[in-house]
Amino acid sequence: MGTVLVVAEIQKGAIREASFELVAAAQGIDGAEVNGLVIGSGVGDLANEFASKGAGKTYVVDDAAAENYNVDVWSKAIKAAAEASGADLILISNTPTGWDVAPRIAAGLDCAFTSDCIKASAGDGGYDFVRRVFNGKLDAEVSTTGKTVATMQPGAMAPFEGSSDGGTEALSADLSAGARFVEIKVAESTGVDLTKADVIVSGGRGVGDPEKFPEVIQPLADALGGAMGASRPVVDAGWLDHPYQVGSSGQIVAPKLYIAAGISGAIQHLVGMKASNFIVAINKDPDAPIFEVADVGVVADLFDIIPALTEAVGGAKG
Amino acid sequence: MKVMVCLKQVPHQDARLDVNADGTWIQEDNIKFEINSYDTYAVEEALKLKDAGSADEVIVVSIGPDRVTQALRTALGMGADRAIHVNDDAAAGADALATAKILAAVAKEEGADLVFAGLMADDDNASAIPPMVAELLGFPSATGVLATDFSGDAVKVERELEGGALEVVELPKPCLIAIQSGANQVRYASLKGIMQAKKKPVDVKSLADLGVADSASAAQNKTKINKIYVPPKGDSAEILSGSTDEVVGQLVTKIKELGLL
Ligand SMILES: Cc1cc2nc3c(=O)[nH]c(=O)nc-3n(C[C@@H](O)[C@H](O)[C@H](O)COP(=O)(O)OP(=O)(O)OC[C@H]3O[C@@H](n4cnc5c(N)ncnc54)[C@H](O)[C@@H]3O)c2cc1C
Ligand SMILES: Cc1cc2nc3c(=O)[nH]c(=O)nc-3n(C[C@H](O)[C@H](O)[C@H](O)COP(=O)(O)OP(=O)(O)OC[C@H]3O[C@@H](n4cnc5c(N)ncnc54)[C@H](O)[C@@H]3O)c2cc1C
Repeated sequence: MGTVLVVAEIQKGAIREASFELVAAAQGIDGAEVNGLVIGSGVGDLANEFASKGAGKTYVVDDAAAENYNVDVWSKAIKAAAEASGADLILISNTPTGWDVAPRIAAGLDCAFTSDCIKASAGDGGYDFVRRVFNGKLDAEVSTTGKTVATMQPGAMAPFEGSSDGGTEALSADLSAGARFVEIKVAESTGVDLTKADVIVSGGRGVGDPEKFPEVIQPLADALGGAMGASRPVVDAGWLDHPYQVGSSGQIVAPKLYIAAGISGAIQHLVGMKASNFIVAINKDPDAPIFEVADVGVVADLFDIIPALTEAVGGAKG
Repeated sequence: MKVMVCLKQVPHQDARLDVNADGTWIQEDNIKFEINSYDTYAVEEALKLKDAGSADEVIVVSIGPDRVTQALRTALGMGADRAIHVNDDAAAGADALATAKILAAVAKEEGADLVFAGLMADDDNASAIPPMVAELLGFPSATGVLATDFSGDAVKVERELEGGALEVVELPKPCLIAIQSGANQVRYASLKGIMQAKKKPVDVKSLADLGVADSASAAQNKTKINKIYVPPKGDSAEILSGSTDEVVGQLVTKIKELGLL
């Protein structure tokens, strides 16, 4: 055991930070030999960069067919690199790319798979991982046997800062694909811009009812001169429009004050708001993960606290 | 077109989560279960195809113990035609790959032209099974799908990326599509639907029936959960205590200190 293949992802022409976090995970595994993989078109320089910044010997699949992400192209390229490097652990980030392709590779290799891990280490005949389950409410210690494919949660560890001089090696593979990339569509901007608000009062599924947003959440936002936000289930249910959504697939915000009411604190929500200067969480459940990132917590029914707070804020302003 | 929907029954989102006696999963006695939220969107997507006349049959498939019948009945009540329940003790606690092998065996046996699944299960959050099933079937696949278009020869789907971007991909049929939450507005099972569902068939199968007893049981897991637990508390919040008025008073003080009042 001990050869790790780290798959880089390219975003806006650069290797994304999450890929250097994977390098850190791989470098942190006792006795592991680390190899990199860069897939794309015209990516020679990026492969050199990856090889020199910790990924060690880096394979590069440089092909017009890989200009845009394609699940079939990626799974073939990764399998070819796994074979060339003799990797017994393949690490991929748990991003839309990672969760699309990584399980396919595990099934193709008939090997162990685990996803969205926050820690990786050498195990007994395989590897050991820690991952979050139940939307962050519990942790699971998972171990694998034999060859393993794993995805790591972006942001769970610091990017690797050291260097390496593994050099690069071009790899060719059959990149024929069933799926066909058509285009990337970028959402149009709308009126609601939470990124400019000093105060955001966000409601989650715990608000329980679409009417309660204008009745309970918005008045506190108004009293504080701020904006209203929401978690994803609120938007999925059609209670509020997408621009109100805070999180990895919504807006990334960093107001002076963020109040989270009836929000449990799933990682996809946390990444959207944890950079806020001061976070207040109101939740009935004392074990809700939101309390881990909050500065101040209130374990109570939001319908007791929010209206009283709205009134008190109004009073304090005079 | 024959459409199969993979459906997992998971603990209700508001269920109390206590770790079981051997510390490897949650205590499942005395808690409520429901259809995995992502799968409700997948069922809806399949039923829309049936409403449009493009799907001849919608089959819902779930692997799990007796309680899973309830989830299958709910999907039948929404309008699915038929259900397959893989109920076999040997599949209890099977890892994602073993589970995918079972689902792929069902899809093969049924000759499904299209397979829908959810992006992830709300309990294990693995996002593992759908691409695995696709690979085992040799189908192209897409995950995190928010929109589908079946008007052409190939299925056109929109996958959610980060920061509001969408990736448009075309998949030749047969293919597998894993649906992201919010893809549609999920219908409820009507009273009439629930009555009709009672007459719809639920086929119960074992791993041996599907020919996967030697390849897809929990005994062959390559991935093992050793322990689950409440995450160690890090740098947690200062929890305010007292009556509502006292708590609100403390919050107002904090907000004043921030210079926001
Ligand atoms: C008692 C117990 C012990 C366990 N032990 C282990 C273990 O040792 N190792 C391990 O890896 N896992 C273990 N698991 C979890 C395992 O059973 C997971 O279901 C599996 O790892 C896949 O993850 P997931 O359910 O999150 O699926 P995901 O890949 O997140 O699910 C995505 C989609 O796949 C489909 N799907 C998933 N499961 C089913 C199903 N059962 N029927 C139909 N469709 C489905 C649904 O459409 C779902 O939306 C255990 C579970 C239990 C209850
Ligand atoms: C690819 C992907 C992208 C995602 N992107 C996002 C995103 O951008 N933003 C996002 O938010 N989520 C996102 N999610 C969803 C995320 O995983 C969670 O499902 C979601 O954040 C949960 O929302 P919630 O906290 O409102 O609901 P829940 O997790 O259901 O929590 C509700 C909370 O309310 C509490 N509660 C209930 N009633 C009351 C009451 N009366 N008073 C006080 N507390 C109460 C409960 O204790 C519970 O903690 C994404 C998921 C995926 C897979």
